[in-house]
Amino acid sequence: MTATTQPNVTKKPPLRGLLRSRPFLAFAVVALVWIVAGLTMRGFGAYGHLRYLIELSAVIGLVAAGQTLVVVAGGIDLSVGAIITVSAVGLPLFTWQADPTGLTAIAATLAMATVIGFVNGAGVAFLRVHPMIMTLAMATFLQGLLIIIAGGSAVSLENELIQWLGNARPAGIPAGVLLWLVVCAVTLAIMHATPFGARLFAIGANPVAAELSGVPVRATTIAVYGMCGFTAGLAGLLLLGMNGQGYVGIGDPYLLTSIAAVVLGGTSILGGSGTYAGTIPGAILLVTITALITVVNASPGWRSILFGALILVLLLLSGREAARR
Amino acid sequence: MSLSTNPTRDGVKALYWPVQMRRNVGVRGLFLVILAFIIAYGILFPGLFSVFGFAKFTQSWFPLALVTMAQALLMLAGGISLAIGPLVSLGAVIAATTMTQSLGVAGGAAAVALAGLLIGAATGFIVVKLRLPAIVVTLAGSFVIAGAALLILPRPGGAMPPWVSNLLAGGTPAAFGLLVLIVLGWKLYLATPLGISLYAAGENPIGAYRSGVPVDKALIAAYAISGLLCTGAGLFVAAQTGSGDPVIGQSFTLNSIAAAVLGGVGFLGGQGTMRGALAGSLLLSLMISVMFFLGFTPVAQYVAQGLIIVGAVALPQLKGLRR
Repeated sequence: MTATTQPNVTKKPPLRGLLRSRPFLAFAVVALVWIVAGLTMRGFGAYGHLRYLIELSAVIGLVAAGQTLVVVAGGIDLSVGAIITVSAVGLPLFTWQADPTGLTAIAATLAMATVIGFVNGAGVAFLRVHPMIMTLAMATFLQGLLIIIAGGSAVSLENELIQWLGNARPAGIPAGVLLWLVVCAVTLAIMHATPFGARLFAIGANPVAAELSGVPVRATTIAVYGMCGFTAGLAGLLLLGMNGQGYVGIGDPYLLTSIAAVVLGGTSILGGSGTYAGTIPGAILLVTITALITVVNASPGWRSILFGALILVLLLLSGREAARR
Repeated sequence: MSLSTNPTRDGVKALYWPVQMRRNVGVRGLFLVILAFIIAYGILFPGLFSVFGFAKFTQSWFPLALVTMAQALLMLAGGISLAIGPLVSLGAVIAATTMTQSLGVAGGAAAVALAGLLIGAATGFIVVKLRLPAIVVTLAGSFVIAGAALLILPRPGGAMPPWVSNLLAGGTPAAFGLLVLIVLGWKLYLATPLGISLYAAGENPIGAYRSGVPVDKALIAAYAISGLLCTGAGLFVAAQTGSGDPVIGQSFTLNSIAAAVLGGVGFLGGQGTMRGALAGSLLLSLMISVMFFLGFTPVAQYVAQGLIIVGAVALPQLKGLRR
């Protein structure tokens, strides 16, 4: 463990272990890209610009936190985009005149997002619907619900706490990034230092064996989808704070990027292995790639092609499966 | 493969229909639901049983049927594609930019087919040879393909020759005829070594590999055919609308998965039948039409669609639990 913090150790095994560690590789790629881009492009390495990149990564990082937990447990959540939109559009609806702080509205929104996740989990655990279909159907369902509550128009943000979350910079660090740091710590602790985390890995590796070994598979599944709903809700609130406006479709881009961040971080999409420590640089990497492509000043078509091709190349570094023999 | 030699031929013939009936077991309930929906549709819209009404209905179903076949093919082989929608868009923009211009109709159709086959084969190659999970390769591929479609046609435009539109999307059930031909083609493909390998590779890739099944070839072929079906659906959509649109295919990715799963195709490979997948796509498209005729608002349509998909997938599972 101590060796992993000192890359210069001459003993070979720890070093090789470090080079094989996917989170470390992902961080190394981010550092490399930042250094190269900082030296070659004017303004890229400026503190303000890098801080902005991290701020944008925070939204993806929050969504991907729940997504990582779900993917490690062998599932996938395709409703995170819809949950983000529902919470960004729904917050103003929960605003209650008697509560000037707006705390109840935030609590209600997060509770709603969590309940949506619980319903996903219940569908997967009890109805035995495949997670892809359950969360897909949930996304379709929420899309209908959204048109009812928003009627297609944008809602503007009036909640002061969320405004603070989106714009304030206590001690020079954006509040959203601070929130992300807290979520990082909690997620890592849940994954690697609690029985619940161990159960996630067990279910993802082999659900039948987990069930037979006494893991409460159903309860764990419901809980993990609930967590995913909660972090998607948090991301929706942060996005609302940064944008100042919520509208239908605001969360759509975050569905695929959250999955991409998880996979770039070395978590197996098939479940059973991975860590949120890889997803963190994965999210930063995605935002960095997007920023670089924007700087290149290409047409939207080329931008999309570059983005896809770069993800594919990065996947070759981190996402390969074992050979079939 | 040696099944067609003389001594066993009679036995195979006698077995054919019982085996086919057994393969229907899982989807029988689905067929009943579809029948109910067709009756409801016929009552709401009696024109369905005229040639024109039938033609129009099958035309609205045709692209979904093709992409569902494309998705089911991959799911049977143990893969999945998140690039279905962008491929449909790509097929549509290639058709709309080439058919009335340089290449003519035949050249344009060939370009559409070639694009689908090549992109599909490339995807399959990356999945199989570089050993990356299909879901993430096609996720990244969807960005690349969507970008290519935007490069060819940055905004909706282009044109289709009017006679192509009339032929495919006019008052004749030509689309249904095409679908029958494609299904026959699938039957023939299943009779070839590569076709049989498809199920084997999906069910148990390691076992199949060790038994000498050409797993890699079967998978790459499956991806190529799937790409061809998608761009073909794009050509049809372009003929329907008379022009090309670089984002017209978006909804097909998720709908193709939903339809295939409705039809009983499993995510783990090797489970399910193409007839089930086609029935699933028919149900999805009937559902949308019936809700439209019942005057459902888009909101209610979304809500009902979500509930019906979960219900249809969950019911057989619950029945299985009780057994």
